[in-house]
Parts: sequence; structure tokens; C-alpha cells
Amino acid sequence: MTSVTKSATGLLPRAGFQQLIDLLVEDGRTVIGPKVADGAIVYGELRSVADLPKGMGAEQRPGSYRLVDHDDDRLFAYAVGPTSWKRFVFPPTLDTAESHRDDEGHVSFGPVGHDIPRLAFLGVRACELAALGIEDRVFLGGPYTDEDYRARRSSAFIVAVQCAEPASTCFCTSMGTGPGIRDGHDLSLVELADGFLVSPGSPAGSALFERLDLVDPTPDQLTAASDQLVSARDRIGDPVVTAGLHDRLLAQLDSPHWAEVAERCLACTNCTMSCPTCFCTSASQRSDLDGHAAVTERRWESCFTKGFSAVALGGNFRPRVQDRYRQWLTHKFATWIDQFGTSGCVGCGRCIAWCPAGIDVREELDRIAPPAHVVPGNGHAAEGQTRATRVFRVEQARHETHDTVTLALSRPEGMDWASEHGEFVMVSVPAVGSVPISISRRLPTGLELTIRAVGPASTVLTGLEHGAEVGLSAPLGRGWPIEAAESHDVVIVGGGMGLPPLRPVIDEIVEHRAKYGEVHIYHGARTPGDLLYTQELAAWSARGDLDVGVTVDRADQYWLGRVGIVTHLFDHARWDGSKAIAFVCGPQRMIQATINTLASHGITPDRVFVSMERHMECGVGLCGHCQMGPYFVCKDGPVFSLAQLGDVFGREGI
Amino acid sequence: MPETEALMPRTDDNASLVALLNATWFGANLPPETQVRLAGLARRYQASAGTTLLAEGQLANELGIVLSGRVSLRTLVPEEGWITILTVEPGDIFGQSAVVAPYRSTSTVVALQPVDVLALDGPGLRAALAADHDLAAELYPRLLQAMARRLSATRLQMLDLFAR
Repeated sequence: MTSVTKSATGLLPRAGFQQLIDLLVEDGRTVIGPKVADGAIVYGELRSVADLPKGMGAEQRPGSYRLVDHDDDRLFAYAVGPTSWKRFVFPPTLDTAESHRDDEGHVSFGPVGHDIPRLAFLGVRACELAALGIEDRVFLGGPYTDEDYRARRSSAFIVAVQCAEPASTCFCTSMGTGPGIRDGHDLSLVELADGFLVSPGSPAGSALFERLDLVDPTPDQLTAASDQLVSARDRIGDPVVTAGLHDRLLAQLDSPHWAEVAERCLACTNCTMSCPTCFCTSASQRSDLDGHAAVTERRWESCFTKGFSAVALGGNFRPRVQDRYRQWLTHKFATWIDQFGTSGCVGCGRCIAWCPAGIDVREELDRIAPPAHVVPGNGHAAEGQTRATRVFRVEQARHETHDTVTLALSRPEGMDWASEHGEFVMVSVPAVGSVPISISRRLPTGLELTIRAVGPASTVLTGLEHGAEVGLSAPLGRGWPIEAAESHDVVIVGGGMGLPPLRPVIDEIVEHRAKYGEVHIYHGARTPGDLLYTQELAAWSARGDLDVGVTVDRADQYWLGRVGIVTHLFDHARWDGSKAIAFVCGPQRMIQATINTLASHGITPDRVFVSMERHMECGVGLCGHCQMGPYFVCKDGPVFSLAQLGDVFGREGI
Repeated sequence: MPETEALMPRTDDNASLVALLNATWFGANLPPETQVRLAGLARRYQASAGTTLLAEGQLANELGIVLSGRVSLRTLVPEEGWITILTVEPGDIFGQSAVVAPYRSTSTVVALQPVDVLALDGPGLRAALAADHDLAAELYPRLLQAMARRLSATRLQMLDLFAR
């Protein structure tokens, strides 16, 4: 047993290192740590001290990683390699949900449970502890959480090891994450010539500390540990000026430099795959041949892939490599702070060494000038809300146009639907997948969804008939601030499929008409055959207390209504918008034209609310696809005021 | 000229023509002397739904201001038939070709509803614009505004925003 009783630091002799591994295994843990494989030092299962990369290090430069043999006994004399601990708490692929359809057409949805292994991470560096802390904020910071991550994270025992051999690519000093170990570990080690200084960092770590055969360290050993840290820090220097980086970067969205980097960037995704904090994912369906059973598989995704921000109705918000590089860099070093109260970068340097083009993020950042900026943390409550899928039944399928159907869905018995707020739901069909659909009407018994067949999932949904079952998430996202419109005039502009999300607003106004001033409803569609809710539009118009205008972009000779763009419905109107609130939804270019016209009527940006279209997969801000500047559109929107969006709105490649 | 049997000319005095002009987007808030000048070039007519007011390629002898009703600007597309590009609503104009060389209509104008039209004589208007610079300074910005509005709308229509 230990001879160390008072000091919080003991010395584990080099010859006794196997005891640490043995105790961890004795506790039922699989020990994961560094080992040499595939020409690099990577993390994998360790069974004995002999598996550790004795004497090995790595020489790292932009676009280069080469193992070197120090020809000594040190076990941890290397800087981080291509793998990170992320893969053990957030696996690269994971089955997350399963769905079934029985022979009667009844569907069911549920999460896929996993046996969470008891792991011990051996050799975690300070920058990697910081990365885990950042992932905690992303996945557990709320309001929605990743419970699989929570389980894996909380079951892991963390043995941190002081960094002694930083690489030329390291910049943890600049990011404030290292090289000294501060917190987030159970046990910390400092490797010295003749052994390891061991300190506990948690109650679990203290318990293990007590079981190790430690001796008191000598003053020289303590000094050597301190010198090692100073030496590591000195070697890294402070290569990135982070003061004011958030504001500096966001002020450079139009820099020509993005295009210059894009000429070198291969969009290969290596930087994001090797990054210990990048968390974007995509989901795909794996089904049996008859579609009766399917599993949703989540896999790591990268914002550098071309289809990452493509949307179902066609179009891609970041089609160019320069858009994607800008997204990655500004997210990592700026908007991440807005979202999670911390930078997304820990300065580990993996993205530099593993970039085949040798793009050095430090140099790219360094081309932008520095004013200081302090960003307060935003505090994260661990509420642990997850997204359950509940089975709704199709009561009616109403054809609106040749490719658009309104489904009336009834909620499950006992579900408290009235208290559910939100703008859209994720609609799931076994073996097909999930798609976000705006709620087009709230009913006492459920809701209506108006769906246009544009992809595999929406085509299946538009083919559903009475009695069919689908899975729905709880309503998600922030919807239209209808309460802000009370006592005001209201202008509603819906273009094409932009009208369905606005229909609940119109329903509310119709139901409580006296609460609102003048109300103008304008709907534009491609052709007369594409107009939605034609009978309802006529009924609203016939009331006499709603100004309803309808127009189409083109028509044949049999159409007697208006032809022209939606703004022509009101650009010459005489109403005064100085007290009006506007709700606008449609293609982004239509929104732009509309807000210009609204401005000419005196409606200021703080009184114009728009719904933004983005690629949504998870619906709760955890997969990364729908990022738009500092926002996750699914979680922070999709409805924003123009004032809130600022110059993010309409900017190319955001 | 349009199918004249469907057109019902009206006789209005100058003052009432000015009042009608003032009630339109195009004619409102022009200086009184400009309005009087335009009223002197104006005639008012009504046409029933379905009447072709102007045919594509035809000499545009009048600049029309829609007082009420709706007219369509159409073009004939082989295998697709008549496509309506735009409708002209009360207050707006059609037949601008009457003041732009070569003075031939670029679309076919058909009344979709019974329409009431204030028509400015094309040759007379051109002569007045050439001779009276004050009139030209007042009227050309209106014409440009109408054309620019139509141009920006056409751009958006070309983008076919709702196709996807």
C-alpha cells in the first residue's frame, strides 16, 4: 500500500507502472491508451505496459507526421496523434434509434440501447481534457442532451499525463488549455526519468491513488516536474493572438482570403475528423429488405462535405470550398463561443499536422488583426431533455396540389399536446428516415402538416392514407412571436411552401381577430396549380376583415387572377407599416425582395420576422448541419427577427 | 387598334380626367399643370373581359393607365399557348411602347375583367415630352419607376423561386 498519506502527490516507480493498468483492469475497466499502429501513435486497448509507445515520439509539421525513436524508456514522450478520445465517448458510428412496421401497418419507434463499456483513458493531455469539457457543453449543455454521450463520458476513468514533448503544431498555450493539467481528470501523472508523479483529481481518483504503491517524491523530482512544464510551455510559445479573435474573425466574413485558402484546401475533412471537438453528424437508415425494421445510424460528418448544408427543396447554402472553410474557422474560433460560451478549439494542432495541404490554422488566423474581446460564459444547465418519437395516426390526407398533401394527424391517447410549443416536428417513417416539417395547423386532437414531395421521405409521406402511422417528435424550434403582434397591424407574406408555416399564425388571428389591427395576408405561388389552401384563402378574404392577396409567377390564359411577384401585391398599397409586425416565409431570395418592400412601408427590421430554411437532421442543435453564423436554425430559430440576424441574413455561403 | 366594338369610349371633361389621373399610382402627385397637360392627351374607355386591347408587334398608339379591372400581358409560346407574364392592376400602366421607339407593343394586352382605362395619345405624348422639358422631367421618372419595377419582378420570375 501507499506510503504517501499526507501529500497529494506520490511517486509511482517506473518499474511499478503495470500496477496502474492492473488496478484499472481489476476495477472492470478496459484501458485505452497510446500505442504505435499504422505509423502513428494512436489510442487503442492496452493490456500491459509493453503496449505503450516506449521511447517513441512524433515529429509533426503542417501536413506531416513522422514517428521518431527517442531511444529512451519514456512511455509518454509524444504529442497527440490523429486519434482523439472523442471516438470513445462519441463513437464515429452509432445506432441511435430503431423503427418497426408490423403487417397491419402499425409503426413503433424507440432508441437503441447500448452496453456502455467501463473504460479508462490513459494518457489524456491537458488539451484533450479541455476538448472533453467542450464536448460536455455541446452534448450536455442543453436543452437537448445526448444521453449516450453522457453514459460513455461518465463511465470513463481519466488518467491524464503531463505533456512533455509538444509538437511544432501545438498551440494549447494560446487557447488557454495547456500544457499544464488543471481539472477534468481522475488521476494525473507527470513522467520523470525514474517514475511518475501521481496526483488524484477526483474522489474516484483518490480511491485509486490510495491503492497504488507510491513513495514520497523528492524535492528534485517535484522541481523536475515543474521544469518539464515550463519547458513545454516555452517550446510552444504563444503562436496565436486570441484577444479579440471572435470579433476579428466575424468582421472578416468578406475577406478575399477565404477564396485564397480555398485554393489550397481539398475539403478532404481530415481537419474535422481528427479534431477532438468537432461534433457534426448525419443520420442514415439501414433497413431490412421489406422495410419492416430499420435502424438509424448516426455517423461523424464534416461541414467540409459538399452536401452538408444542402436542403431538401434543392439548393446548397455553402456550395463553395471557401464557404465551408469560412464556416469551419469562424465556427471553431468565434460563433462556437456564442453558442457554448467557449472556443471550439483547444490548440492540439491535429488539424495542422493531418491537413494534406499543410494549411496551418495558426497562420490563417494570424492574417487578421487583433482588438481584445472578452466573452462571458453562458452557463449550461444539464436538463437532460431528449427527443422521443411518438406515433401519430393519419386521419385525413388532403391533396393541395399535384405534389403537395396536407396530412391531418391525431396524437396518441393521453399526450398533452396543448402544452407543446415549437414550430416544426421531425417526422419519421420506418426505413425511410426523419424529415423536418413545419406545423401547418394545430388541432385539438393533433396537428396538420403540409408536405411537398421533393425527396424520398417526403414522397412517402405524401403517399400516406387514412389510418397510416408515422412517428413525430415533440414540436421543436422557436416559432412566430404572435404575441408581439397583438394590438398591431399584421402583414403576413408566404411564398410557395412558405405559407404552411404561417397558417397557424393566421388561425390564431382569425380566432382572436379583435386582438389585432389591420391584417394583410399575401400569398405567391409558381402557377395557379401550385396555390395552397385556395378554399381557405377565399374564406379568409370573404370575411371582410382580412386583406388577402394572391398572385402567381406565371399563368396560362385561363387564369383570371393576378400574375406577378408577391411584392407586387402590396408595393403600391396605401397602408402604413409604421406600427405593423410582419411575418415572412418563403425562398430566401423572395424574403429579401419582401423585406425591401416592407421597409418602404416603414416596417423596421426588429418588426420583421422571417423563417430561415436550412438543412436540419437532428432538430435539436446537436448534429451541426443547420448552423447559420452563431445560430443553430433548428434550435435558435427557424424564426428570427431581421434585427437578430443582422448581416448574417442573405450573406453568401453562410 | 383593339377590337373596337368591345370598347366603349366615354366623354369626360378635363377636370374629371385630372381627378381620375390623381387617383392612380402613376398619375398621382404630379404638378397640376402636368396633370392638365396629360388630361388634354387622354381619352377614357371601357372594355369587356376578353377584349384584346393591344396585340404584340402592333403599333402602340396609346399609353394606358388602368383605372379599374385587370389586364394581362401575354405572349404566345409555341406548344404552350398564351402565357401571362404579368397582370396590370389599377393605377399601373401598359402600352409604354407608345413612348419608346420603335413604338410597337412587346406583348399582347387582354382585359381579364371589365376594365376602365385612361389612354394617353402616343404621338401626342411623344411630341409633348420632346417639346416640354418640365413635363418630361416629371413624367420620365414615373415611367422609369414603372419599368424598373417590372424589370426587377421579371428577374425574380426568371429565377423561378418556387420551382424547388
